[in-house]
Amino acid sequence: MTTAESVKVTINGQEFQVQKGAPLIDVCRENGFAIPSFCYYADLALQASCRMCLVRIEKMPKLQTSCTITCTDGMIVTTQSEEIEKAQRGMVEFLLANHPLDCPVCDRGGECELQEMVFDWGGLEERFTERKNYYPEKFLSPIVANDPQRCILCKRCTRVCDEWMGEDAIEAGGRGANTVIGTFGGWLNCSQCGNCIEVCPTGTLLDATYRHQTRPWELERTVSTCTFCSDGCQMSLGSRAGELMRVVARDRYVDGINGEFLCIKGRFAHPFVNHEERLRTPLIRYRKGGKLIPATWDEAIRFTAAKLQEIKDAHGANSIGVVGSPRLTNEANYVLLKFAREVIGTEHYTASEAFSLAPFFKHMTAPLATHKDIRHAKTIVLIGGEPEELQPLTAKQVRQAVRNGGAKLVIINSVPVRLKQQATQFLHVRPGTEDALVLALAGQTDDAMAARKMGVEVGEIEPLRRMIDETQGNVVLMFGGELSTEAQTILAQLPGSIGDEENRRFLFHPLPLFNNSFGVHDVGLMDGKLNATGLLDAAGDTVRALYVAGGLLPAHLQGREQALQNLDFLVVQELFATDTTAHADVVFPAASFAEIDGTYTNNDGLVQRVRQSIPPVHQAKPDWVITSLLADALGIDFNYQMSASAVFREIGEHVPAYQGLRYPLLKDESKPVQAKYQLAGQRAEVADVLAELRQRVERMTGAGDKIMETPEVGHELFKIGTLTGKVPQFHLLAAGNPEPPDVLVSPLYQITIDSGLRRDTAIAGD
Amino acid sequence: MSIISDIVESTKSIIKGMSVTFSYIPKAKWTVQYPEEPVTLQPRYRGQHLLHVDELGREKCVACYLCAAACPSDCIYIVAADDPRAPEERTGVDERYAEVYNIDYGRCIFCGYCVEACPKDAITHGYNFELSVYNRADLLKTKDDLLITKQKQSPNYRVAFSDEDVDSEYKEV
Repeated sequence: MTTAESVKVTINGQEFQVQKGAPLIDVCRENGFAIPSFCYYADLALQASCRMCLVRIEKMPKLQTSCTITCTDGMIVTTQSEEIEKAQRGMVEFLLANHPLDCPVCDRGGECELQEMVFDWGGLEERFTERKNYYPEKFLSPIVANDPQRCILCKRCTRVCDEWMGEDAIEAGGRGANTVIGTFGGWLNCSQCGNCIEVCPTGTLLDATYRHQTRPWELERTVSTCTFCSDGCQMSLGSRAGELMRVVARDRYVDGINGEFLCIKGRFAHPFVNHEERLRTPLIRYRKGGKLIPATWDEAIRFTAAKLQEIKDAHGANSIGVVGSPRLTNEANYVLLKFAREVIGTEHYTASEAFSLAPFFKHMTAPLATHKDIRHAKTIVLIGGEPEELQPLTAKQVRQAVRNGGAKLVIINSVPVRLKQQATQFLHVRPGTEDALVLALAGQTDDAMAARKMGVEVGEIEPLRRMIDETQGNVVLMFGGELSTEAQTILAQLPGSIGDEENRRFLFHPLPLFNNSFGVHDVGLMDGKLNATGLLDAAGDTVRALYVAGGLLPAHLQGREQALQNLDFLVVQELFATDTTAHADVVFPAASFAEIDGTYTNNDGLVQRVRQSIPPVHQAKPDWVITSLLADALGIDFNYQMSASAVFREIGEHVPAYQGLRYPLLKDESKPVQAKYQLAGQRAEVADVLAELRQRVERMTGAGDKIMETPEVGHELFKIGTLTGKVPQFHLLAAGNPEPPDVLVSPLYQITIDSGLRRDTAIAGD
Repeated sequence: MSIISDIVESTKSIIKGMSVTFSYIPKAKWTVQYPEEPVTLQPRYRGQHLLHVDELGREKCVACYLCAAACPSDCIYIVAADDPRAPEERTGVDERYAEVYNIDYGRCIFCGYCVEACPKDAITHGYNFELSVYNRADLLKTKDDLLITKQKQSPNYRVAFSDEDVDSEYKEV
């Protein structure tokens, strides 16, 4: 890497030393000279269409757009003068020539960049008396509303759609004053991330789920962390009168690792928080086969404590299993673990996690990559996983690293994922043979054997190795749950065996599925004797009672429905009635992420805050409070005094990676704090694991068909889950996003996919 | 100053003051015989609010919240909603309408800022001043109380014409 040359630039008579080649607009803004702009957006391709950022540069004939000018030595710039102001005022007048005066009904009103610009640069009266171009307001999809008339053609949306999402779903059509932003065929079939809505400086693209609900200044804003995937995007929750109204990531409200990026789940799947089906009170099933009957908290806690004590006395402490969840906060999981160890004294604790990262953390020889590292990486190796569906922010960073940063991307996957469009090399392997590649990279097998097992050409592995060897910069190794624990261990040791070179650094980026997958490992909940399926298999045998926080995964329950029936006693903490609560003897209503304080640890290892936006709905309580109440009833007072910060302080004292962390240190979402993970050295005992991995690879048949079809957009994103299923729009998307007969009316009112969704009451505005 | 001059000065002041008071005794008295007879209100009197409708009977309010934002006593509560029906069938003039529109007259100070803020001329001050109730909760007026179509004019007042001299109408007693 070369260090950028420093040059001298004079702005409004003041001299500054700046990096050569930096965009002039950024330099001016950083040094306190406000420059208005619409179309300029950091880290997107330049557009220079709004002509608001004009500056005078000496020796240049006309006013220049500062967003397209890069700093050169001796540049003399004027940002404010009569001439510039006249030009800018003229531009605003032109922008308003076609813009309707419908701010009172526009959802952007109050946080509209055009509105703000007009306050500063607009004239008092409009001199254009010609008819404005009229386009009706319409829907582009169940969750994107579009009013083409309000558009000022900055094309941020089209650039975001292309560069961030790689979808090109939204484009400009037509010419001149008749240009409109639209989609092919008039209907938007994309991943519905809503980033076009977020970056739109006017009310052209709007959130159809929050449409005409309230106004931005009415909302109480809270910065929090997304609860849907392991990327941990920072977002701003807008609530009003105890109801969560919307989620945005606008940079005026929040400045996290994701910028203004969010995916469909983060942005739109929040209505579950105030959903009417939320559990309202604790429920008790007094006898097996009976009904769940609403109870008071006192009664439910007393009943549960008595039952647990009874089972502990009769069958011993190890007959009680405690299951946390990677969806819960660090605080909840930590208190659960403490409950299991100190109150019950059982060795059977775990979390309902899809795959364990414990072996990876134990053998990790390189630090974790942050999303910023991924954006600036030079080589990215993605083994398994499907980040564009499961970790959308990672996918966006990878895409930008390739597109805007010139990184090389190698994908090893059994499925031709969409991200392969950006890949330099794509190794299309047979399902379940990703392990072979790890073995080959570790140099423990000849390429021919690995290639045969994976079903790729022998020559395809060597370029990958060379690419890693020749990298000048960061190499990010990403892997998904397809790798076996042995392969994860070997991969974790790989950087240590290859060794760092002067300009090369290895970074890891595991791709777990849940928002706090890292957290459950960190607090130690995954170190229990049995995993979730193991506990279920032992149900009714050695395990007589289960205490489940956050519900079990459908994948775990599949084929084990009987297991929960076999239990003597099942306690569940949940938001909604689920498959797990159907067998529960006691159900506690838990508070959702919007109602609690806490922390999540994302796949960068960043410990990020979750903040309370609304008071808990109905009688819900935070998970860790419920556990503390139970502990209290069983005779041990955890002494947290109802304060999540007290729990976190204890985590900071007991969890090595979180040493010294406190809530005040995590206050600023723009400066996230990474947990201090211990790096392992080269370990001798890995030899056993290696042998096991070699055996595993050798056992692979080396036959079988490959998956040839690229999965559809949204096959994971639009999946109806317990939480996403509470959003009517998701049902439309999951059903293939049908185009309604009339795009002028919300599709929700025209198409009924699920009669359970209250269409009529929705019309009445309920 | 001596005590004598003090007494003289203060007596003068009392006489001066009381002379104004006594001068009113023989003059005619103006009394409004409310509620036996209607009161005449000035055209720009600020009474209970009216929510207006257009010629098709649709509510003019588009729930833009500007009145609520302008309100210094924070007495207006609105819940906006989306009405996807055809324009003629809608509740309001626009797709966006106020599903709930409450004014808490226990807090309203009748400053008229809401009327000034309204971009659609949907809210104005009416003339009804008879807002006293027996129950504090009844001071919260909903859309049903505020809509112009739902309000009945009280017989206890009339509104003066703009060029009318209201004072001369009061009776001498």
